[in-house]
Amino acid sequence: MTDIPANPVSLDLRIARWARGQRRLDTAFRLATGFFAVAVLLLLGGVIVALVEGAWPALRQFGTAFIVTEEWNPVTDEFGALAPIYGTLVTSAIAMLVGVPISFGIALFITELCPRWLKRPVGTAIELLAGIPSIIYGIWGLFVFAPYLQEHVQPLLTDALGGVPGIGFLFAGPPLGIGVLTAGLILAIMVLPFITSVMRDVFETVPPMLKESAYGLGATTWEVMWNVVLPYTRVGVVGGVMLGLGRALGETMAVTFVIGNAHDIHASLMAPGTTISAALANEFTEATTELYLSSLVALGLILFAITFAVLVVAKILLLRLQRRVGT
Amino acid sequence: MTVLSPARPTDALPPLARPVVPTDRTQVSVTAPTTKVEIRDVRFYYKKFEALKGISLPLYDRRVTAFIGPSGCGKSTLLRVLNRIYTLYPEQRATGEVVIDGRNILSPDYDVNLLRAKVGMVFQKPTPFPMSIYDNIAFGIRLYEKLAPAELDMRVEEALQRAALWNEVKDKLRQNGLGLSGGQQQRLCIARAIALKPEILLLDEPASALDPISTSKIEELIHELRSDYCITIVTHNMQQAARTADYTAFMYLGELIEYDETAKIFTKPGKKQTEDYVTGRFG
Amino acid sequence: MTLYQRRQALNRLVLCLALAATATGLFWLGTILWTLLTHGVSALTADLFTKMTPPPGSQGGLLNAIYGSVIMTAIATAVGTPVGILAGTYLAEYSRGSRLAEVIRFVNDILLSAPSIIIGLFVYEVVVLRFGHFSGWAGAAALAIIVIPVVVRTTEDMLRLVPDSLREAAAALGAPKWHSIVQISYRAALQGLLTGVMLAVARISGETAPLLFTALNNQFWSTDLNGPMANLPVVIFQFALSPYVDWQALAWGGALLITAVILTLNIAARVVASWSSVKK
Repeated sequence: MTDIPANPVSLDLRIARWARGQRRLDTAFRLATGFFAVAVLLLLGGVIVALVEGAWPALRQFGTAFIVTEEWNPVTDEFGALAPIYGTLVTSAIAMLVGVPISFGIALFITELCPRWLKRPVGTAIELLAGIPSIIYGIWGLFVFAPYLQEHVQPLLTDALGGVPGIGFLFAGPPLGIGVLTAGLILAIMVLPFITSVMRDVFETVPPMLKESAYGLGATTWEVMWNVVLPYTRVGVVGGVMLGLGRALGETMAVTFVIGNAHDIHASLMAPGTTISAALANEFTEATTELYLSSLVALGLILFAITFAVLVVAKILLLRLQRRVGT
Repeated sequence: MTVLSPARPTDALPPLARPVVPTDRTQVSVTAPTTKVEIRDVRFYYKKFEALKGISLPLYDRRVTAFIGPSGCGKSTLLRVLNRIYTLYPEQRATGEVVIDGRNILSPDYDVNLLRAKVGMVFQKPTPFPMSIYDNIAFGIRLYEKLAPAELDMRVEEALQRAALWNEVKDKLRQNGLGLSGGQQQRLCIARAIALKPEILLLDEPASALDPISTSKIEELIHELRSDYCITIVTHNMQQAARTADYTAFMYLGELIEYDETAKIFTKPGKKQTEDYVTGRFG
Repeated sequence: MTLYQRRQALNRLVLCLALAATATGLFWLGTILWTLLTHGVSALTADLFTKMTPPPGSQGGLLNAIYGSVIMTAIATAVGTPVGILAGTYLAEYSRGSRLAEVIRFVNDILLSAPSIIIGLFVYEVVVLRFGHFSGWAGAAALAIIVIPVVVRTTEDMLRLVPDSLREAAAALGAPKWHSIVQISYRAALQGLLTGVMLAVARISGETAPLLFTALNNQFWSTDLNGPMANLPVVIFQFALSPYVDWQALAWGGALLITAVILTLNIAARVVASWSSVKK
């Protein structure tokens, strides 16, 4: 059956010529993909440069005092970032304090308690929470959640905890519905799916044999989670929490709707406040002077720095976990 | 049928350790073999580690040469030198010469695509491409030749016939190749390789991932293809080497210990190491 | 209580709390979707899709906003997808394990999780200020910058899943590298790549912050990408915070619309992702 080509030499030549052309295409393709890959680096560099450039007038004017000044007066052109920074940190802290235990509970449920047929739907449902855009959380928060809190939850909190020494001041003041606490709670709901899914993933990396040895000794589910799973996945869990934190810090629309947009710092959580992203969203298009605009960009730069730091730490932790698991 | 001399001490060993008896080769070609591939002092390095320590041997045209040896002895590595597939990985390199049709294929100015059009390879695990059976075979042909659809159909059918797969897939050529059984997938890969009309076929443990029935089909196929190609097969199954190969090379720890006609290797090996291996004392 | 009983009680408590936590999470999903439905369904009339955003106090629809969102999303996807796929291809096929690849992946993850309002700020500085006005192009650019890291990540992950044995088999036939990548790797990873693009589109469909000071908003019908462009999220933002009931109703309608599209895309992406496992 073999039909050797009539002229083996010409076939060789044809292939060699074709191969030369292919090599050029290969180089072109490689350069194209490499170019866009490096473009990603340039993009980040560009973001940093643009932010610094825009923030420069404000930074030059106010110096480092910018970070600790509460005053925010567009009329007199005096700006300080303290209130937005405070608001960003406090709302995120509330989001973490409320969200992490709930996420842990959900992850625990899905990995240990859930019947097999329910795992997929429940997991998907929780992940759909992540898909809902933040503006939807915003309007839901403003029209449904905040009024509900105002009527039913906040008075309760003030009555029950307002008098407790040490934390009472946190719950003082009239129930407005909107405010730092509400924003924090909505953020908690928003970061739930992210932290839950990271926790689920790391919980599932625990070798079954490890858990089985604990169960075999008679440990309860909770004891296995607390004493075996959590220590094993500690690094991943912290990484996941930090990822959620990064998300909460940068969240804009949901917070803008319910935080009240007041450049003030109050001791009470029920008071209105502002966050960096909410300030940007609300005031950017109204900024009249160059200094005003620049101060807002400076706020953006600070936010970027904070989220960058948190993300870097999260990445390092998750990388360490991957290295340990061997992936 | 070659018979063992009764005085051999190995007769006293338990059945599994008894030396393999080569099958009758009634169809052994009577013409003298011509050298297709001349391997000269080939050394291979994974970074600093020397995996092949100066291998030299001929591979004959229209014959089957088997490489046997324990895991890690370098037999697959040597195979992968013959089509320069190792060049995909920057930390692997080879020195020495491999001469095919008078030219050293390891030299940088020998075009690697030309080489791979001449030398076909089938891997240990069946690797059908994620496309239809027809496209799997046509993939290689389309690389080098611009054929009219009718001609392409013919070439695809030819290759599948040659690989003894045509009857099983002729009604489902447009179906995905992944839907075939393991043995069929491997024959698909063989068809894919011979569709390019190579002169040399490299088979890297082609049946190790398959069940016994598929394995025997593959071995039958090798026997048929033998008359047209220079076939090199790596196998860790000594019985398979004895069944299919005309020549056998025994390798150990990166060195070629012995190379001879299969019958000699399995009945009267020259080196003690070879004898130990084929009688199952180690490996 | 004995120690044993105490341990059992604690265990039962924790498991109840876990169940409660899950119920809570699902409850939030339910009430948000319920709210959207009840408030928004009344606005889902033919008018919504045929009339422009009205001045306060009159009837109207969201046509210009829908159009603007669709156009900007389409442009962002058309630009961001090839860039992301090519960059991801570089990471997975050409530079596996190299230092450069690690750095790029790291930076990509930073961009992936960066607050979208910062991206908007960046595009404002670079595009809006340079050209002196807000524009649909700026909005599309901001969205594209959000699409790219998502697509890079999923492309790299999906291509890495393609076994090396396929690449070797293609190389053994003499296929050039680019041919092997396009014909073999991309085909093998097709479902995953598609899923990644769908998730990226779902993500940018709901993004408001990056459009706030790039595309701004436009009350009238405009197909001019060089000027401010209406878009659903910013319209919802504006209308929801206003005191006008008509506007608020439209805001809910738009919110329901966006959420429906995004949830559909998310679910569709999951379905596509599960196809590949069925095929094997």
